[in-house]
Amino acid sequence: MKDPLIYGMMAEFDNVNDAIIAARRTYAAGYRKLDAYSPFPVEELAEAIGFHKNGVALVCLIGGLLGCTAAFTLQWWINNVSYPINIGGRPLNSWPSFIIVTFEMTILFSGLSAVFGMLTLNGLPMPYHPVFNVPRFELASKDRFFLVIFASDKNYDGVRTRQFLEGLNPISVAEVPS
Amino acid sequence: MTAVRTNTIEFRVPEAVNTISQRSLGIGLLFGVASLIFALVPATREQFFHSYLIGFMLWLGVALGSMAFVMIQHLTGGKWAMVIRRQLEAAMNTLPLMAVLFIPILAAGIPYLYNGNHEAVGGFSGWLHPDPADKHLVEMSKSYLTVSGYTGRAVIYFAIWLGLAFILSRWSGEQDHPPVRNLSPRFRLIAAPGIILYAFTISFAVIDWVMSIDPHWYSTIFGFIFIVGECLSAMCMMVIIERILSRYEPMASLLKPKEVHDHGKLMLTFVLLWAYFGFSQLLIIWAGNLPMEIRFFTRRLYSGWQVIALGLVIFHFAIPFLFLLSRPFKQNSRSLVRLAAWLLFMRFIDLFWYIEPNFHKALTFHWGYLLDLVVPIAIGGLWLALFFRNLRSRPLLPVYDLHAQEFLEYVGAAHD
Repeated sequence: MKDPLIYGMMAEFDNVNDAIIAARRTYAAGYRKLDAYSPFPVEELAEAIGFHKNGVALVCLIGGLLGCTAAFTLQWWINNVSYPINIGGRPLNSWPSFIIVTFEMTILFSGLSAVFGMLTLNGLPMPYHPVFNVPRFELASKDRFFLVIFASDKNYDGVRTRQFLEGLNPISVAEVPS
Repeated sequence: MTAVRTNTIEFRVPEAVNTISQRSLGIGLLFGVASLIFALVPATREQFFHSYLIGFMLWLGVALGSMAFVMIQHLTGGKWAMVIRRQLEAAMNTLPLMAVLFIPILAAGIPYLYNGNHEAVGGFSGWLHPDPADKHLVEMSKSYLTVSGYTGRAVIYFAIWLGLAFILSRWSGEQDHPPVRNLSPRFRLIAAPGIILYAFTISFAVIDWVMSIDPHWYSTIFGFIFIVGECLSAMCMMVIIERILSRYEPMASLLKPKEVHDHGKLMLTFVLLWAYFGFSQLLIIWAGNLPMEIRFFTRRLYSGWQVIALGLVIFHFAIPFLFLLSRPFKQNSRSLVRLAAWLLFMRFIDLFWYIEPNFHKALTFHWGYLLDLVVPIAIGGLWLALFFRNLRSRPLLPVYDLHAQEFLEYVGAAHD
């Protein structure tokens, strides 16, 4: 039975190792729709909840290749087709001098596509998120670690999931209203 | 905090490296004797010293690059550094060998390296016996580029390097004994000025040893190209060594994919910087198109040498760059070690491309290029033998360092 008013179940931990161990056990128990929150980036925590890859690297690569091609083609076209001009007797297609702009545009495009790709893929900015309905959650930006199992998970059960999380050595467990 | 682990026996270097060390020494002696024969025969002595300079610069680069990393890690800290700190120090402590190996150049090599190249076309006058018509060079060969100046400066460079290595190594040795202390503030006092000194001394050294072969040519970025090359060589060597050591305890449980990943990222950094500085040098000289400067590239981008230049662009930069973009590739020391070995070979090709075109206008088959392989292998064998001997003399972690304790806690936490 899914209750549309419930977003999930949240457990609070006061140290990173407990959070990592809890996340691993939650994943091992068959829960897949879960998320972890920490005051600083913890790579092991991301791995523990089964978060391995995201599309940002690919978006960044494509953006970089696009910037690289665009910049070089633009300079080649200007110097060879649109407005050929003799500069110090050098060949029109003086590619070494095109490299700097090509390089900078590659960096610019890959940087911008990484930022906007990240925002598109993670759905930010997000004015409302149910986890903030739990008052203690504000500690996630200070010194506490949180693990949330979403109600949309097929193994989610209001009573059993709470009991499961309570067995993982948390400081507190709370239901998150949607 | 978990209990402090200070059992140094636990961190002893595995016995298995003794075999590698002995084999390296064997190869070094075998190739060394072969090289010595070429050095003694007058007809091949000139080629011997060209090859010797290539081999010397290659292995000096690994030693000095490692010293630079030792100083960097005292300033930045980090787990990536703790796991290779003792290996870096062992590599840094091969500098006395490099100082001894410089003596042949001082004693006998100068006439064969700095006497210019009097080819019918495209030849140039060296600083040792300059063309009297060349007023500027005659002046230089009386003031800065003199045999005594060359020797005196070399003594100063080695004194500074050996002094830095001695202090850094000695203080590190204190961390093998109780109590657990944080020596980082003291290390920083020597590491910060040490890095600046390293940058200056190596710049002056490569101007003396490599750039002055063609005394009219100069490039202001030359020192930085060598600094970056040396750091790349050192990091590649560390990736190779950590791969060998990680087959045994204690390194098997100390080396984590995260730290291998960091070493891969540093390789990427230095591959990119090498390309960046190399291209900057090309672009500025190409755009200026001045006779004295462009000569460097007209020698190295025509008459067959362009094959090596293009090879460097592809195999020293483009292909390693593409591999190093991949995250799983950098995290796996088994895949990373192959690229590291390859890049170390490309470091040799890079030095070959910098040094040999001074003496041969066109790249055609020349028996001497075989000696260019033999002599670096000889020096490398001796270098590795001393490196492993240094490595065995101390535990693989400075266990009484506060940061080593933090590192052990982290490695322990990553276990469960």
